[in-house]
Amino acid sequence: MRALLRTVVAILREISDENAYQRHLAAHQRRHSPDEWRRFLDERLARKFARAKCC
Amino acid sequence: MKKFAGSLLWAVISLAAAFFLAAIAVDRGEPVNSFWIVLAAACTFLVGYRFYARFIAAKVMALNDQRATPAERLRDGHDYEPTNKWILFGHHFAAIAGPGPLVGPTLAAQFGYLPSVYWIIIGCVLGGAVQDFVILFCSMRRDGKTLGQMAREEIGKTGGITALLTVLFIMIILLAVIALVVVNALKSSPWGTFTIAATMPIALFMGVYLRYLRPGKVLECSLIGFVLVIASIFGGQAVAASSTLAPWFTLSATALALGTMVYGFLSSVLPVWLFLAPRDYLSTFIKLGVVLMLAVGILFVHPQLQLPALTRFVDGSGPIFAGKVFPFVFITIACGAVSGFHSLISSGTTPKMIAREWNAWPVGYGAMLLEGFVAIMALIAACSLQPGVFFAVNSPPGVVGTTPPAAVSTISSWGYPVSEADMSTLAADAGEKTLYYRTGGAPSLALGMAHIFSTTGGGRAILGFWYHFAIMFEAMFILTIIAAGTRVGRFMIEDLLGQAKVSLNRSNWLFVFATSGAVVLAWGYFLYQGVRDPLGGINSLWPLFGIANQLLAAIALCVGTTIFIKMHRARYMWITALPLSWLVIVTFTAGYQKIFSDQPRVGFLADANHLQDALNAGTITASKIAETQSQIFNDRLDAAVCGIFLLMVAVILVDSLRVWFRILSGAGEAKVDEAPFVLSQLQPEEL
Repeated sequence: MRALLRTVVAILREISDENAYQRHLAAHQRRHSPDEWRRFLDERLARKFARAKCC
Repeated sequence: MKKFAGSLLWAVISLAAAFFLAAIAVDRGEPVNSFWIVLAAACTFLVGYRFYARFIAAKVMALNDQRATPAERLRDGHDYEPTNKWILFGHHFAAIAGPGPLVGPTLAAQFGYLPSVYWIIIGCVLGGAVQDFVILFCSMRRDGKTLGQMAREEIGKTGGITALLTVLFIMIILLAVIALVVVNALKSSPWGTFTIAATMPIALFMGVYLRYLRPGKVLECSLIGFVLVIASIFGGQAVAASSTLAPWFTLSATALALGTMVYGFLSSVLPVWLFLAPRDYLSTFIKLGVVLMLAVGILFVHPQLQLPALTRFVDGSGPIFAGKVFPFVFITIACGAVSGFHSLISSGTTPKMIAREWNAWPVGYGAMLLEGFVAIMALIAACSLQPGVFFAVNSPPGVVGTTPPAAVSTISSWGYPVSEADMSTLAADAGEKTLYYRTGGAPSLALGMAHIFSTTGGGRAILGFWYHFAIMFEAMFILTIIAAGTRVGRFMIEDLLGQAKVSLNRSNWLFVFATSGAVVLAWGYFLYQGVRDPLGGINSLWPLFGIANQLLAAIALCVGTTIFIKMHRARYMWITALPLSWLVIVTFTAGYQKIFSDQPRVGFLADANHLQDALNAGTITASKIAETQSQIFNDRLDAAVCGIFLLMVAVILVDSLRVWFRILSGAGEAKVDEAPFVLSQLQPEEL
């Protein structure tokens, strides 16, 4: 049950890009800050919303 | 012993699948419980997943977990990232599940539940899931290339350009038809309109919250957004009850269509973080939550299906859309059975996140089965309505009569009794003034969902809340796709202009406004056409969308078959060639009928000729002449669009057949263009 809950939370975090942000911080060895988040989000959203969404 | 028990279990599941599929097809003269359909789908999907998909994975694709995937080899912390298979499954499912599997089965219920159930189950196992899985595999072996790139490289240049143009055209028709679904759901509904209008400032607030107040807290922000959206549903109830406020939010279909176009334009030109992104996060979470709630609700309530297995409308005289069960059920339900659009997702983000090759099995094949299940649930929700009510909600005035007495009389004469009192009570329970002529599928689906949810507790007293909750879910979800689609359409036009060597300054606001406006005008034109259509618009636009979507699937399956042949797996090419052949037969038959049928309700040209004859004979009143002329133009335009779709796919098909023939006859080289084998170094703890 706990494993299922962990997976559900991980899916939600993946969909909400929170996991991607953690990966971004780790990959660039940076710490969280409002500016860093905004930099990440702009880059991420530009790519995300350049692709067609499914019907 | 363990192996024997496993074999025995699968034998039982296989027999159960056959039994349940046969049982729902036998007419016992009594309503069928939805549980039979749920079990038929579940058992068949399990067998398809365990045996057919595994066979494809092992024998044809030869998936190999020792082979490093692009996520590992090209890992960059952005697009390429090895991801746990269940997280990726959820992510992929959230990306492929749109409004199509909800709306399509609802519309196709006019034929009765049986054709749709069989098409969703069989189409999913042998067609849709195979397409998603194969394209995911092909893209994964090619460093995450897109469908267009693969079409260009594996089939030829024509294939690549045709795929790009097809996607752009499909987007335009898709955006128009789903916008029409929202407009028809919200027209003359102050409760629904207020709720949806309130989601706009909520999204703006979320955008500011996420960027400046609590940067990075997407889940927290979405939770606040969700609470505000639920509050707006209650606010909508108060607005509908207010004699001062209700008129402000009681809008005609034309006003709502214009409002939707303004919304599409603004969301394309505004910064993504401010409006589109927060809406997208929120609508994705609501979508997943509602799908889960619907599944639990159906399991808990397991309603009786009130619509018969087959209705009289299999003969092509259906009020929702005209055309016989073959081929129209197969194009009406695209998403949920076979959806070409999925191939864009399977060759987009997902192949770049697959950690191990075998994960493509649950992610590619399994996620599509889950979407098939969503389609089954939508069908159950729609079929749990009384047939008379279902047709009264979904039929346009041009078919059943322009007044409620005429509508109930026409529908009752079909053998589906319904009274004005029934409709009035239902409308009052749902918090609406009227539920007649709500074409598009969304209101009847919302009624079915509200019926299921309210049965679990609260009864008729809270039917209105659940109805508007379901409308909010459908409309918010669709409007987010319209916003994102308009933006993507803008980028596609920029790409096409770039390819045509037109000098561009993409950040120039005039250019952004012009390209956004062009996309909005394109889908807005078809939307306006649908709103003005006396047959409800769905009759012409949904088949166009279905044909286009299935044709994109045909392109994807052409790519898959070509790659199988190049991999020296020609003896297995039937795996993709079989659904491809079926889709070509279905879409070309439907396309031909939509253009050339001599029945005005089916054939675009026949309708144009019929109206032209009426004009020439002087039987059209002076006030309707301009409208009739524009209908004639629209019919001819729709015929041309349909013809272009068919022509483009015929080009790809002929190109593919040429490539296959050359390879199979030995005249051409079967060169596999996969990324080289690299041994995986990925450790389990990295996932």
